[in-house]
Amino acid sequence: MSNVISAKNLTLAYDNGRKEIIKNASFNIKKGDFVFITGPSGSGKSTLLKSLYGQLKPKEGNLVVGGRDLASISSRQLQELRTHMGIIFQDYKLINEWTVAKNVVLPLMIAGYSLDVQETQAHRLLKHVKLSEHADKYPLELSGGEQQRVGVARALAKNPVVILADEPTGNLDDYSSNVIWDLMENACQQLETTVLVVTHKIPTIFSLPYRHFIIESKGVYEVH
Amino acid sequence: MKFIKNHLMFILPLMAILLGIEFYLVFDRTTDSYEKGLKEGYTMLVVAKKPVTLQKLRQLNPHIATLEAIKREQIVSEVAQGVSKQSKKEILAALPYFYNVGLDSYLGTAALEKIKKDLEKDSNIKRVETFGSSYSSAYRLFAFIKFLLKVFIGFMGIVSLFLIIKQMEIWKYAHRERMQVMEIFGAPLMLRAGVLFKVAIFDAFIATLLTSAVFLYVKFVWAAQSGIDLMMQKQDDLFKMTDMAILLGVALLLVIVAVYTVVFSSKGVQE
Ligand SMILES: Nc1ncnc2c1ncn2[C@@H]1O[C@H](COP(=O)(O)OP(=O)(O)OP(=O)(O)O)[C@@H](O)[C@H]1O
Ligand SMILES: [Mg+2]
Repeated sequence: MSNVISAKNLTLAYDNGRKEIIKNASFNIKKGDFVFITGPSGSGKSTLLKSLYGQLKPKEGNLVVGGRDLASISSRQLQELRTHMGIIFQDYKLINEWTVAKNVVLPLMIAGYSLDVQETQAHRLLKHVKLSEHADKYPLELSGGEQQRVGVARALAKNPVVILADEPTGNLDDYSSNVIWDLMENACQQLETTVLVVTHKIPTIFSLPYRHFIIESKGVYEVH
Repeated sequence: MKFIKNHLMFILPLMAILLGIEFYLVFDRTTDSYEKGLKEGYTMLVVAKKPVTLQKLRQLNPHIATLEAIKREQIVSEVAQGVSKQSKKEILAALPYFYNVGLDSYLGTAALEKIKKDLEKDSNIKRVETFGSSYSSAYRLFAFIKFLLKVFIGFMGIVSLFLIIKQMEIWKYAHRERMQVMEIFGAPLMLRAGVLFKVAIFDAFIATLLTSAVFLYVKFVWAAQSGIDLMMQKQDDLFKMTDMAILLGVALLLVIVAVYTVVFSSKGVQE
């Protein structure tokens, strides 16, 4: 089966290459893989995700996502590639001047779906994350955990090929966390979505087979 | 309140530029004939012993464009009123030939002096009167006023442009986060900048309408009651509907350039 993500001797750095965060990492992720990424705070988990959605160019090595070499991708190709990704940010990154419902369907809006479709999908997605009654509120009127679930719903909106999630349950209690894990398991199982999740705590009840990467001392290692 | 302030900060400098442009257009139109008169109404006086032709004068100096003989009989009848017919004939015979000489372009005092010298080289020509100083001072004053106006409008335009860019930077800051989020989800430029374009184009229309309203007021209300001859004669020239198209075109061009500047300079921002 084909690799959705392939990294070879990948080095990531900030400050014009002076501050290296990840060095010489190599790994392959196939379609339908479910990957947990753990590691100490500041080890570079968010940095790795950032490079996967093209916000940070590799300093050295190869990084191929969805068949595109991210070192040489054009901005138009990157734009196209990103429409197949569902990204969940550690700091949510909701658009505060938009309602919750509008935030959730951002990927549908970008794909050019009609307002009717957007509305019904917003309804369906918010039901999934148990936020139906908050559709017309604004993000800043919600609690941290509620905002996080809006971010999850947004990432799932267009059935992405890849989900990149940064601490999607970081602010949630066990019940809400399980709701999120269920959604991701379903996406992976039913739609063969590739899922990468950064988390500090791998869920104890998890029915799918998964892979586990650890980021430590600038390296990315797989636990077997 | 904040909404209105945000728009005014953009509309007012835009209006300043449009008012400047429209003012210049109107000034140019209403004073056009005056300027032409100053430019073309000029003639120098040439006094010759025997009749001359335009070709002959042109050989002496190429700037000479027209030649018009002043009727000698008229001069005599005016100068010699009540003199006998015979004496009039004698005066006429002794009288030299007078000509108004027009030039092909507006020339300065020095150039006029040169023409005078060139013409006086010919022994047939007795005298050349250029009226140089009074002619050029009237035209120069006009040219100077027009130049000052251009400088003033240009200066106002530059200051306003700075204000527009400043306001755009505030917008950019206000919209930066949303534009980044949309970019990460793969939104094309037009969608990311859509709101900015909408707001800016809306403001361009408002600024054009307000500027037009000012000039329509001047045209139909103020000019009619002003008592200034030039204003009342040229009322039609004060504001034309085609001006509105010019102003709208300029306003749209300015805001689109401004939005593009903002959108492109916020691109590739890494947090
Ligand atoms: N934009 C940036 N410029 C420079 N250094 C950065 C930048 N973003 C992150 N870093 C540094 O890179 C390192 C890794 O950061 P990163 O956010 O990837 O860590 P993390 O593993 O996600 O941590 P956490 O679990 O706390 O979220 C940190 O030392 C951080 O200070
Ligand atoms: Mg992080």
